[in-house]
Amino acid sequence: MVSGVSMAVNLGGIKMRNPLNTASGTFGNGVQFEGFYDVGATLGAITCKGVAAEPWVGNPAPRLAELGNSAIMNSVGLMNPGVRGFVERYGTYLAGLRERGCQVICQIAGHSLDEYRAATELFEELAPFASGFEVNISCPNIAAGGAAMGATPAAAAEVMGAVRPLTSRPVIVKMAPHDVAEIGRALEAAGADALSLINTIPGMTIDVRTRRSRLARPTAGVSGPAIHAIAVRMVWECAQAVRIPICGIGGVASGVDAAEMILAGATAVSVGTANLYDPTCVPRILAELEQWAQEQGVSDINELIGAFEC
Amino acid sequence: MSAERHDMAGAAVGSHDFVVISNEQVARDTYRLELSSHVSWGLMPGQFMNFEVPGDGSHILRIPLSFASCDLRSSHVVIYYVTVGEGTRRLSAMRHGDTSTVVGPCGKGWRLPEKEAGRCLLVSGGIGSAPIAAAAGMLAQAGISYDVIAGFQTAARIPQRLLDEMEPLLADDGRILISTDDGTQGFAGFTTQLMEQLLGEQSYDCVLTCGPEVMMRGVAALCAREGIACQVSMERMMGCGFGACSCCNVPLVAGGYALCCQDGPVFDATEVAW
Ligand SMILES: Cc1cc2nc3c(=O)[nH]c(=O)nc-3n(C[C@H](O)[C@H](O)[C@H](O)COP(=O)(O)OP(=O)(O)OC[C@H]3O[C@@H](n4cnc5c(N)ncnc54)[C@H](O)[C@@H]3O)c2cc1C
Ligand SMILES: Cc1cc2nc3c(=O)[nH]c(=O)nc-3n(C[C@H](O)[C@H](O)[C@H](O)COP(=O)(O)O)c2cc1C
Ligand code: FES
Repeated sequence: MVSGVSMAVNLGGIKMRNPLNTASGTFGNGVQFEGFYDVGATLGAITCKGVAAEPWVGNPAPRLAELGNSAIMNSVGLMNPGVRGFVERYGTYLAGLRERGCQVICQIAGHSLDEYRAATELFEELAPFASGFEVNISCPNIAAGGAAMGATPAAAAEVMGAVRPLTSRPVIVKMAPHDVAEIGRALEAAGADALSLINTIPGMTIDVRTRRSRLARPTAGVSGPAIHAIAVRMVWECAQAVRIPICGIGGVASGVDAAEMILAGATAVSVGTANLYDPTCVPRILAELEQWAQEQGVSDINELIGAFEC
Repeated sequence: MSAERHDMAGAAVGSHDFVVISNEQVARDTYRLELSSHVSWGLMPGQFMNFEVPGDGSHILRIPLSFASCDLRSSHVVIYYVTVGEGTRRLSAMRHGDTSTVVGPCGKGWRLPEKEAGRCLLVSGGIGSAPIAAAAGMLAQAGISYDVIAGFQTAARIPQRLLDEMEPLLADDGRILISTDDGTQGFAGFTTQLMEQLLGEQSYDCVLTCGPEVMMRGVAALCAREGIACQVSMERMMGCGFGACSCCNVPLVAGGYALCCQDGPVFDATEVAW
């Protein structure tokens, strides 16, 4: 903390040394970035890839398209090794991150209420290193569950209601990019400790020569710098509606982008797609954010959360 | 199976600066890039690097490229690439002294066959000849004899410079055979047809191949029929190049998927569900 600004924030009970987090699915499980910078010494938290009770193979290839307008589109479909496989492979590494002051958020995926419950129970049993959980009710790339489970306030609250009694650790809910005020309120009432938004925006990309989708599925999730302004607006709308903290996600690639999220009402900010094309970006974004806070003349970054003046 | 393939590889991948030494057109839409970078220190034949190509930010993904040769003493790496879209076109505009960054070394490269395995056959289609040249260098260094089949669409697309660079690596009895789809140079027809003909004259113990997926599928089928071990270098759209996004899936015979950037790009042909 060169600047003298206190950067620590509290994301629904997850005490982060600084506001920077990573967006699920864009950061592997941290270890993939160790060759780029010291993950454990840098980030406030990492959010791991979505994991279900049992392994999922994910969607067929191709899963990725470059859109050419500062965005990409993916249809990975939550490929994951199941909670047991995840803990076996990454448990030791993640416990080490936690010891070094980087919080570890494990993401829970499911196709049904029962699957969300099963994954939560397994995590509770096998993942003492988890600082908290993020429940993914917004994946646009799976046939059942995912975004469908979070489509209405009632459906979203039902998932939260299923998970809530199973853990006393902080629970964040990862929201889809629609009706964020209404659904956010329902999740708060159902016991969520924090909200994270947005997940990718459902889109399509068509190869006009072949008239086929450029991906193996007709629709997929759009992410990257192009969605940033939409994400900031949604964070702002949601922040007006709830009292619980928000983690802002969507197209963050610079300190300015992260600062916008904080002014709009985000307590923490996740870097997503930028990690893929610029794997060294997090330390730079953190330094830029800290410099901005200093320039704003505050002694604590918390003074800037929701400080947007309209 | 996908789950089993999710290992911890990739930790050694880093970001490195590079400087362009030269970047010249060598055939139709085909360029030879020589760069200097410390990424060369860890680079193994068949591995690749993910290039940041300066631009206006509209295209955000890096460009994955393999390499043809790498000189540890000078830190020079030689790459051959074809301009197919925005990223590779921008790359072709880079000049001597220009700098950018490269992520690497990425993935798992060619596996060295047992010396006792005997003779190898290298089969490339199009710009697949670049990583095949790196395989040739590896075999030459290990003292394993081999022949090369290098197939192209048409004579105008043949990077003669690359073939010239491979020539001195050949053993006395080694051959480079050219095929073109349209018959403008060498054997007229597909590489797989030439390979079938060659298999009638000479026995091979190991095949290494890189090119369009349809071609590699044909090569893998021939190898399966003849009982020859076969390594294939697969291509996928890549989000990261180091196992962080699960975007580059390759279907496996055993079910599920491997990640091309982390478990590959070189796979055993019998593992892949063609
Ligand atoms: C491991 C690996 C090694 C490679 N090595 C070489 C090499 O040595 N020399 C070389 O010329 N090319 C190589 N490629 C292919 C090269 O990465 C693509 O041609 C390049 O990314 C295209 O980018 P672009 O922006 O120019 O094209 P875009 O405008 O993005 O696309 C143009 C066309 O190329 C296809 N394409 C885009 N990206 C890829 C990709 N990653 N793989 C396959 N097709 C793609 C698109 O589907 C489209 O049809 C390699 C690819 C991989 C995965
Ligand atoms: C390749 C890829 C995989 C993703 N996987 C997940 C996932 O497993 N769970 C999830 O909640 N979001 C997932 N996301 C969405 C991101 O976490 C993030 O919400 C979204 O990409 C928007 O942020 P960005 O524009 O900064 O990437 C994924 C995104 C990408 C690009
Ligand atoms: S390209 Fe990201 S995992 Fe392979």
